[in-house]
Amino acid sequence: MSAVLVIEDDDRIRLSLVLALEDEGYAVSGASTAEEGLASQRSRPADTVLVDLMLPGIDGFECIRQLRRTDDVPIVVISARDDTQDIVEALEAGADDYLVKPVAIKELTARLRALSRRARTIGTDPVPALRFGDLEVSPEAGEVRLHGAPVPVTRTEFQLLCELAEHPGRVLSRQQLLRRVWQYEGGDERLVDVHIGRLRQKIEDDSGSPRHLVTVRGLGYKLQR
Amino acid sequence: MRRAGLRVRVTAGFAAGALTLSALMALVSYQITRGSLLNEREGTAVRAAYYDAAVVRAGLGSVAQPDVAAVLSSLDTGENRRAVLQRGGAWYASKADSGLRETIPAALQQTAGGGRAAVQRVRADGVPTLVVALPLADGDVFYEVDSLQELQHTLGVLTLVLTLVALGTAAIGAALGWYAARYVLRPLTRVVDAAEGIAAGRSDARLDPGGEPELARLSTSFNHMVDELSARNERDRRFAADVSHELRSPLQTLAAAASVLDKRRPQMDPRSATAAGLVTDELSRFQGLVNDLLELARSDRSADRAPVDVAELARQVCRERHTGADIVAVAGPSEVWLVDRRRIAQLLGNLLDNAEAYGGGATAIRLTLDEDRGTLEVDDEGPGVSPDDKPVIFDRFVRGRSAGARAGGDGAGLGLALVAQHAAAHGGTATVLDRPGGGARFRVELVGCRP
Repeated sequence: MSAVLVIEDDDRIRLSLVLALEDEGYAVSGASTAEEGLASQRSRPADTVLVDLMLPGIDGFECIRQLRRTDDVPIVVISARDDTQDIVEALEAGADDYLVKPVAIKELTARLRALSRRARTIGTDPVPALRFGDLEVSPEAGEVRLHGAPVPVTRTEFQLLCELAEHPGRVLSRQQLLRRVWQYEGGDERLVDVHIGRLRQKIEDDSGSPRHLVTVRGLGYKLQR
Repeated sequence: MRRAGLRVRVTAGFAAGALTLSALMALVSYQITRGSLLNEREGTAVRAAYYDAAVVRAGLGSVAQPDVAAVLSSLDTGENRRAVLQRGGAWYASKADSGLRETIPAALQQTAGGGRAAVQRVRADGVPTLVVALPLADGDVFYEVDSLQELQHTLGVLTLVLTLVALGTAAIGAALGWYAARYVLRPLTRVVDAAEGIAAGRSDARLDPGGEPELARLSTSFNHMVDELSARNERDRRFAADVSHELRSPLQTLAAAASVLDKRRPQMDPRSATAAGLVTDELSRFQGLVNDLLELARSDRSADRAPVDVAELARQVCRERHTGADIVAVAGPSEVWLVDRRRIAQLLGNLLDNAEAYGGGATAIRLTLDEDRGTLEVDDEGPGVSPDDKPVIFDRFVRGRSAGARAGGDGAGLGLALVAQHAAAHGGTATVLDRPGGGARFRVELVGCRP
């Protein structure tokens, strides 16, 4: 049973989410503050974290940053705020997805399923590590190495990198990536852009002028040597 | 007719003033110069005539039978002057000029015949001429006909010069007026720039109140107005954000709770199950309404443009609504347009929903890119839009009255208002036309779409 942690200060929203997600078969725990949520995640790590942005004390953005320091757990923001600024800041802080309230439970569970796909569907033949110059992606081992040293990436970042690595030199559009990584049809392209930015911080020597993960204007992204 | 601009009017005023003044000055100068030249010329002519008359009198008096013609020929009259003598009913002239006698007016002859000297200005063969009549002894009259052609020529040159000077002065006046208007209007240009900046969304545009003393009040009140406007915009924006938050939060609780209820409907008694069903259905309708209202409340948001494959987007929107994606037709150099993906998806979705509700479903979607203008058309083959509905169909909370509508009261009448708002965010428009052959054709035109 997949465990979900809900960090939400509004008691009624938290309670309703706990009830609804339990109905969907998740083991749900709730936290009314970021501090409580961080402590809970340290003691009993959940498989996915849902977090509101407007929290008393430590706010949602900071909560995401602190979680990301030690954890690659999928983080989904559920917020009533839908300004581009908030969305981009939350994604840059390390969130994997951003949902604007009110979210239908059907939609929420679809998101949770998409993000918690642990094992990728790999063929029977072991897939060797994919090399892009000094960058090495091992889809099966779940490992990324730069100059031989392992690079810590979140699961979503890793999936995104694998999609690009498995089509070396081919341009994948943002919509294709949204479909393959997040299982979105017609999703928000900012999701891809911010994740690409986060990946570049980790796998490029100079994220301002990327050598491996390049943008093809008007088309999408590709991974190259 | 459009009223001429201030600059044009000031320039024209300066030019007209300068022209009037210089024309007046020229006219006065001309008159004075002409009068003085004529007087001088007349004096010279009279003096010469007296001298010549004296010569003639002496010539005639010296002998008993004088040769009149010889006496007249002996006069040094030069080119311009011609001497005529009336002696005992006969006329003698210094030169063999025909018609010279006719030049001398009868009135002058009469005056001179009466023994009085006289001067008269006449026009002979189109040339201004001065005739001096001097009575001699025994009823003889000595005339001198003096051509004023040279003077005429001088005055002609003077007229030309004065006209040119007047026109030049008018041109200088116009230039001065243009410069003055520009100089005076320069602070206004700054006001215009600032106002345009604010209209374009730069809320920090302000005027320097220390600039022009005359415009200090305008600058101060302008800045005050802009401050008020920004404050109100900010209040509105915050209010919309607060409303958004306060509406979305309870809806989230309702959505989650309704899902719990919905799951248990099979175990409920029929009445509870029906009630739970109503709650769930109405909730999704309410969510749609809130989303649309919040979207409409933020009409100030600009389009977030990026290259979008609109053909693919249109097909996807069709698939989501279980409409055949083969009704999408694309024309133009590119299927990739520079538009706000989210807005265009909603715009197309709303047009398809509208066609579904009122026109029996969309029958064609055409996407055309021409230069940088993108046109989206959605056709249906329903009853069309009545002439009464056409002017208001894109207004908020307007629902179609057509007989074939099967929406039943599902929509709140915000879908097409959002279509118009999304079109406006792309600098474009939304219109409804009659489809040739029956039905409605919704056309959305967007600008700046060329990637």
